[in-house]
Amino acid sequence: MGLGFLVPAFLAGLAALAIPLLLHLRHRDRDRPYRFPSLMFLEQLPIRTAKRQRITDWPLLLLRALAVSLLALAFARPVFTNQAAVATDARSRAVVILLDRSQSMGATGVWTAARDSARAIVHALRPRDRVGVVLFDDAAEVAQRLTEDHAAALAALDAAKPLARGTSFVPAVRAARQLLLDAPFAAAEIVLVSDLQRAGLTGMAGLDLPAGVVVRAVAVSPSTRRNLAIRTVEAKRVTVDGRSMMAVKARIMAYADSANSPETATAGVSVSLTLNGREAGSRREAITSAGETVVTLPPVAAPEGPVAGMVTIAPAASAANGLTADDQFTFVVPREEPLRVLLLLPADGGGSEPYFLEKALGIGLSPAIRITRASRTFVTAAQLRTHDLLLLWDVAPSKALEAPLAAFVDSGGGVVQLVGRRLSTRGSAATVVPVTMEGTADRLADRGGAVRIIRSEHPLFAPFRSLENPWAGTQLFRYPRLSAPSNTDILARFDDGQPAILEQVSGAGRALLVAIPLDAIAGTFPLSPTYLPFVRQLVSYASGRDALPLWRSTAERWALPDTLRDPVVRTPDGTLLRPTADAQGAVIPLVDAGLYSAFAGSTSGAAAALMAVNVPPSESELVPIDTTELLLGVRQTAWSDSLPSTPPTNAELERRQNPWRLLLFLVAALLAGETFLSTRGWRAVARRTRPVSTDPPAASRSTA
Amino acid sequence: MPAAPATFLDPALLARIADLALLARTVVDGFMHGQHRSVRTGASLDFAEHRSYQPGDDLRRIDWRLYGRTDRFYIKQYDADTNASVLFALDQSGSMDFGSGPVTKFAYARILAASLAWLSQAQGDRVGLATFTDELVEVIPPSVRHLQRMLHTLARLSATGTSQLVPAIDRVGLLTQRAGIVVLITDCYEKPEALGRAIDGLRMRGHDLIVFHLVDPAERSLPDSPATTYEDAESGVLLPLRPDELRARYQALITEHHTALAQRITASGADYVQLDTSEPLDRALHAYLDARRLRSRVR
Repeated sequence: MGLGFLVPAFLAGLAALAIPLLLHLRHRDRDRPYRFPSLMFLEQLPIRTAKRQRITDWPLLLLRALAVSLLALAFARPVFTNQAAVATDARSRAVVILLDRSQSMGATGVWTAARDSARAIVHALRPRDRVGVVLFDDAAEVAQRLTEDHAAALAALDAAKPLARGTSFVPAVRAARQLLLDAPFAAAEIVLVSDLQRAGLTGMAGLDLPAGVVVRAVAVSPSTRRNLAIRTVEAKRVTVDGRSMMAVKARIMAYADSANSPETATAGVSVSLTLNGREAGSRREAITSAGETVVTLPPVAAPEGPVAGMVTIAPAASAANGLTADDQFTFVVPREEPLRVLLLLPADGGGSEPYFLEKALGIGLSPAIRITRASRTFVTAAQLRTHDLLLLWDVAPSKALEAPLAAFVDSGGGVVQLVGRRLSTRGSAATVVPVTMEGTADRLADRGGAVRIIRSEHPLFAPFRSLENPWAGTQLFRYPRLSAPSNTDILARFDDGQPAILEQVSGAGRALLVAIPLDAIAGTFPLSPTYLPFVRQLVSYASGRDALPLWRSTAERWALPDTLRDPVVRTPDGTLLRPTADAQGAVIPLVDAGLYSAFAGSTSGAAAALMAVNVPPSESELVPIDTTELLLGVRQTAWSDSLPSTPPTNAELERRQNPWRLLLFLVAALLAGETFLSTRGWRAVARRTRPVSTDPPAASRSTA
Repeated sequence: MPAAPATFLDPALLARIADLALLARTVVDGFMHGQHRSVRTGASLDFAEHRSYQPGDDLRRIDWRLYGRTDRFYIKQYDADTNASVLFALDQSGSMDFGSGPVTKFAYARILAASLAWLSQAQGDRVGLATFTDELVEVIPPSVRHLQRMLHTLARLSATGTSQLVPAIDRVGLLTQRAGIVVLITDCYEKPEALGRAIDGLRMRGHDLIVFHLVDPAERSLPDSPATTYEDAESGVLLPLRPDELRARYQALITEHHTALAQRITASGADYVQLDTSEPLDRALHAYLDARRLRSRVR
């Protein structure tokens, strides 16, 4: 039987043994005091006392020393560790099986292999071994806590199935770590049964695991497998011959196998489109065996309102397609609503300067742009909230509007400030992007300047990616010279280096400052064919209209629109959820892939909002990692460092700490005995001992 | 067990002092005819003084020789012999219960008090007793019939408790209105000056004071012993010490104290008698009484 101490620091109390020892050494022999009539004169003498440093009362000293020792031991909380029990516990094992149930596990033969592997692990355990089951995908679910009931673990494994979700090992390992708290002394093992996709490694580096925990992986898909999957879909409303059409483009990825077979043409893949549950078209496309193929579906008539679409591929039978669950891709194209632009004009009304801008923005239906003119002094915060974009034509926002404007941008609104001759004359104008005006650049002498795109990948220039020089032929005669802080995002510059387009993202919105003259007075840009798509793209981008996602990935969250009262959400499997709104509003976790429909109050009627959810594209990449990569960066620490402090059960604690009660009882008995012994017989005579003093003679007894 | 009263009266001792008298050194106030000088004048053979003749005086007392010399009439006045009150103030504190020999100071004091009381009564004096520690314990007013009572009281006394010598003496002085003899028997563990002032108080009341200072030989010189713990007989306080290292200094202190006592008490007009309890009482008492008689002033 081993002995340990819960609070070993109290063993320092054994130093108190010195107290009775010192007391006994300092004790004077009082057996035979000499009775003298008066110490009146003796007290006046400097007395060097006899140093009788010897212990005369051994029994009492030992009694007191024993009491002090036992008291210190009791406070140190001795714990008897049953070595046999610990050894027994150590010989038993605690195994946590992490079963991957992500979408990729639905590949042909993979799930069966995984479940069989997991069952084999359970069958290989000894009767006293404990097993737990954790099912994981993007998140982890504890299907069975550590138990010696192996049948229950098998049942949990049998009930599992692959889901349309992504892969992440970290939640599973953390769940396993937590389960192993129930068996701190057992031989702990974590077995990961998975196809070991590389995407699941995210976050593993830096994870803490207790020392001694063995982690091993069972790769149920040992080799890279071919797969066809829809990587992404682009869909938008277009106007064709005055009709609103839906243009859909699908990018189909073909993943090669580990044999790295030479690229060969694959038999045609049928790509079909469904809009709002109705077939909307299809085409057959030849897909390369490795790489991305863009399939453009013919435009179809776009239904009114939000459109829930789905693109499905049907590879030929001969095509190698390891995973069929990723052969569908859901998307939602929101309702086409006019983009509301609030055009703020200078005090002089701007004259004819905004003419071309307004005309360009008024052209087109996708999106339709509605412009509201306003004067600087009459714009209110309420007006801002009813628009998607604030367009400042060579004017600075008023002081009263600055705060509401900042809030407007933070909440997702956009602001574009066009800087012209009015603002450029000021030293430091109130601009939405902090810059310092340095006057006007006059390029008349050199036949005008041009614009050079700096950030060609920027969404603002998406319409011009195929053009080498969108501003070719454009002459810019006068434009403001400005300087910006080094951390300002400059999207384009003039050919003389001056900033032309600057951006600042704030919260959910963005602000852009455009120094390119958009009127026909300071330049010829409005006469360029690039002008119309540029200004429309400028407005669409600044308002955020072009950033609306057509879908989200599993494990993300969907913030329901604030306008949705008492929301009810139907999940892809038909479950109804009633989220409660908090400070961030009502949020739905997007667990499964598919279409989520949000209703107001009840599910009758049309959905107020739709959200398409797809499994991350990485799930389609059936490339397993090497098992040695699994624990790269994982730290193994002591149990107390890595595990949350979890107190042992009260019963266990009490069972192991019983000795302190016995010690306290013994201390009480010893103290009672010491009290009895020290107050009986010759020890009982109470005396007062006057301390020895070397001071001048003391006063006599009489006070008279 | 209380001692038998008779044991306080050693026949040998009494025989030794029987021919002596405890005479008051000063005039005392008494009612009966005795051996002490009285404040009253009366018929006796002891001429006291002359006084002018007043009409009505006894003509037989006219000193004619003085008339022949002065042509004036004076009468003779004589001292009247009377008895005295002898009050024995006995210290019965714990310090008296000490004796390095066969007899403790308290036992010695009892014999001394009894013997002197017997002598006093034999000469017609009134005897009384007042014992004290820090306060009066036993009080027997002086009377010619109180000897036996006094002896019985002495027999049952024991020395215990703490002493407060000065207030006790003050209270003793209040016990009697008449001037008499006060015999203080104590071991004098008090500051000489304080004790002297207390004695002055008694003397101011007209008392004739005799202080018997009882000293045990061990009190003069610490007993031979190695390191030991001394215990105060009255307070019980313990004091560990090495007597051998302190003896010389202690002896100097005690001698100085005794000398100071003698000087101060004597200066108060009282008799100071130091009695060593190792010496026979009769010898010491005889020597004292004899000396006292010789010193008595007869007018």
